[in-house]
Amino acid sequence: MNDKKPIRLNVNGRQYERPVEARYLLVDFLRHEIGLKGTHIGCEQGVCGACTVLLDGRTARSCLHFAIAVQGSEVTTVEALASDERLHPIQQAFHEHHALQCGYCTPGFLMTTLELLKRNPDPSESEIRAALANNICRCTGYNNIVLAIFAAARAMGKNG
Amino acid sequence: MNPSAGGNYIGRSVLRREDDYLLRGKARFVDDLPEARDQLHLGFVMSMHAHASIVSIDTSEAKAAPGIVDVLTGRDIAKLCQPIAANIEHPGHRRSRRPVLASDKVRFVGEHVAVVLAENPYAAQDAIDLVNVDYAPLAVASEIEAALNVGAPLVHDHIPDNIVFEEQFATECFQEAMRSGDFVIKERFRSGRIAGLPIEPRGCLAVPDHIGDGLVFYSSTQIPHMLRTKIARSIGLAESRIRVVVPAVGGGFGTKAQVYPEEIIAAAIAMKYRRPVKWIQDRREELLTNIHARDNLFEIEAAVTNDGVIVALRVELSANAGAYSSYPFGSIVEPLSARELIGPYRIRNYAYRARAVATHTCPSGTIRGVGQPTCFMAIEGMMDRIGRRLDIDPAEVRLRNIIKKHDLPYVNAVGVRYDTGSYEASLRRALELADYNDFRRRQPADRKADGKYRGIGICNFTETTGSGAAAWRADGMTHLPGFDSALIRVEPTGEITAYISHASGGQGHLTTFAQIVAEHVGARLENVTIVEGDTGLAPYGTNTLASRSAVTGGGAAIRASAKIAAKLKRIAGHIMEAATEDIRLEGGFAHIVGAPEMKVSMRQIAETAYSINGATLPDGEDYGIEAVDYYDPPLATVANGVHIATVSVEPETGRVTIDDYVVVHDCGRMINPLVVDGQIQGGSVQGIGEALMEEVVYDSEGQHLNASLLEYLLPTALDVPKFRLEHIETPTIDAVGGFKGVGESGVIGALAAIVNAVADALSGIGANVNRVPLRPAYLRSLIREAQRIAR
Repeated sequence: MNDKKPIRLNVNGRQYERPVEARYLLVDFLRHEIGLKGTHIGCEQGVCGACTVLLDGRTARSCLHFAIAVQGSEVTTVEALASDERLHPIQQAFHEHHALQCGYCTPGFLMTTLELLKRNPDPSESEIRAALANNICRCTGYNNIVLAIFAAARAMGKNG
Repeated sequence: MNPSAGGNYIGRSVLRREDDYLLRGKARFVDDLPEARDQLHLGFVMSMHAHASIVSIDTSEAKAAPGIVDVLTGRDIAKLCQPIAANIEHPGHRRSRRPVLASDKVRFVGEHVAVVLAENPYAAQDAIDLVNVDYAPLAVASEIEAALNVGAPLVHDHIPDNIVFEEQFATECFQEAMRSGDFVIKERFRSGRIAGLPIEPRGCLAVPDHIGDGLVFYSSTQIPHMLRTKIARSIGLAESRIRVVVPAVGGGFGTKAQVYPEEIIAAAIAMKYRRPVKWIQDRREELLTNIHARDNLFEIEAAVTNDGVIVALRVELSANAGAYSSYPFGSIVEPLSARELIGPYRIRNYAYRARAVATHTCPSGTIRGVGQPTCFMAIEGMMDRIGRRLDIDPAEVRLRNIIKKHDLPYVNAVGVRYDTGSYEASLRRALELADYNDFRRRQPADRKADGKYRGIGICNFTETTGSGAAAWRADGMTHLPGFDSALIRVEPTGEITAYISHASGGQGHLTTFAQIVAEHVGARLENVTIVEGDTGLAPYGTNTLASRSAVTGGGAAIRASAKIAAKLKRIAGHIMEAATEDIRLEGGFAHIVGAPEMKVSMRQIAETAYSINGATLPDGEDYGIEAVDYYDPPLATVANGVHIATVSVEPETGRVTIDDYVVVHDCGRMINPLVVDGQIQGGSVQGIGEALMEEVVYDSEGQHLNASLLEYLLPTALDVPKFRLEHIETPTIDAVGGFKGVGESGVIGALAAIVNAVADALSGIGANVNRVPLRPAYLRSLIREAQRIAR
């Protein structure tokens, strides 16, 4: 059980190789092996969505995947969103609409939003709410997040 | 009226400075702190029994497992730390001591019986399963009623009836008053047990300092100062050697305003093994062991005139205290919410009996709103019942009982002073905003249109905020200081650092306190930095709980700012050869009133104060610019608000949809309306969860049946209405700054508004809705029963 095997993962465009146990979770690999601690753990059951990342462009719960099982996939985490100076338009919209309070669940919401807007650049309110139902926020009451996503869609539409 | 508007910063919706690092994923929550060299990870073995004797614990297999440093049981740990007990000085309180690890007996499922010290968290998790505990199960009482039965299993041998707290109160000649109405109306309300459920579970990291005789203790706590005092006392380490640091915190909602055994144990083990010790809770542990709340039972009766005026009100409130009293609040705050139940109403004759009942369940504590949401469910439910009985509109019943503007200042039946408030104005505005009368006109027709039952519900409430020392003392909680504090320093470059005795868990303090300090010192907002959540830097305080930060931290910041401003003016007057009273501080400059071109910058004043520009200080003036001040507010600062919800209930499924939601709220002078709205919306959604779905379920054997997020349901984006929200600002005149707290108002307003709306919807078929949560199965059973009777 404690045998470590070298695991290779492509995260945010960089290649990493670390020896970890076969049972090592993707989220632990991200957080503790390569130090990307923006992806948070909320339930370890795939319910709350705090650990949401993109696996080959699709949202995935990093607490439900073994790192070894996603070798060869491209993993995208919240750390990939902003450039050094500028926030990503989704992050900027969350800021301007007070769409976060404690911020613990926020990286998961950002990744869910990123996927949603890639798939559907001009979503309706019900489409936004349906997408957000994958993530739990205990602070904001969600409405400001919905407003932020509308604003982000507009901003990204203009720039795109 | 918008008294905030005049300020440079107070009253402005300043965007939060916290957001940037949170959004980038760069914030450091406790589990994100850099790995300390040689760090140990703790894992706790939890009891699977609600009540049992511990016959033996075999740790040998676990100790031999790879990566395990040690395994300690209750007997081992008892040598390192004292049990946790809240010394509540109240004649009706019976103290229970909670060992940090159970050694002889376990009293709830999830209670810790052993702790594993491991080199990594995976090894800790493996070893937990290898600890063999032999239990001898004992009889269990998990519900209030079961624990009150004659001959019920006792939770603590020295508490013979399981009643851990009792207080009775009655105004003068109460019995007489109770007979003076035209009729008496009675009801029984019941509320489900809830979890606070911050998305970040709890955690801590205890690091012996560089010399090894002190401790830096990182914790996701809301109460760093009280935690430091408690750790010091429990492990026998000088408080001066402990520094509690609060990193980013992923929500608290009261669950983190307690001192828990894991924190004491981590501190003790770090000092014993001289190694950093980390513990991160998982969700199952969070649901099993973080304090619960709201398992309340109300028996309420009102003596009422035929005009709908309540002449006397009697309440019996029993709260399920769980197995131990929590720290620092004991088991008393939820039952004592009975004092808040009369809310915005002119009820002169009032009596209550408030009790906390020990059971074999997780200890209860203070979750956002404490007993106020359920108390307002009870009183607001009574308003509706009086209306239905007399055929007077329930909104009108409220107006006939409400405290009017000309009644203010008003001291209520339990002695709480209401200095200012907008009780009637808020209710009238909310009714208007909700098109209440129009809804009432349409209601019967609507109910038939698509087969759904439609209803409207009001919660007209007060929120007790910013409690000072007088309030905690009145409840016997003399170990709560009651005040909060601020230490403000103008640095040599003229920028300002303000150290506040609070610890934000997402409320945006770094922004809002900066607004207060910038305004009151006359500085530019960007030149003010707020530091909090660090006992090594900030002066002592009561910290962040019970809607108090704006009132207590804000008051302290204003008072300390005044001292800073006075010194800045003295030095500026000296530099400009002007009288101090002619100096005005604004925008980072001191200028002479009437001559704005005559000015010196804060930097220039600071350089003078720090003796780094060759200038001299006025005679008798000390170097530096630094001030500390404390603020102990009055007994209570009372905010108020009204929530009105419109709902529809599907008869076939019992499913509730919220069709409209109106909030009119008055928290006095607002510091940052954006943040206030966020507090109200988020709190309201918690209240909606409490009304419609959230419930921790124990069976009669004390087994926790839903300790996972798959089964403990929380509201999602699909469950929440849009809020139509307005503010009325009626500043408090009793507390410095005019602020009233707002953190808990959403929960308080939402629970009763939803319950009353559903009760209103189903009142047409004769169903009586008197308990929460209103899950579909419960509503279906009410509808089925009503239909059966109708046939």
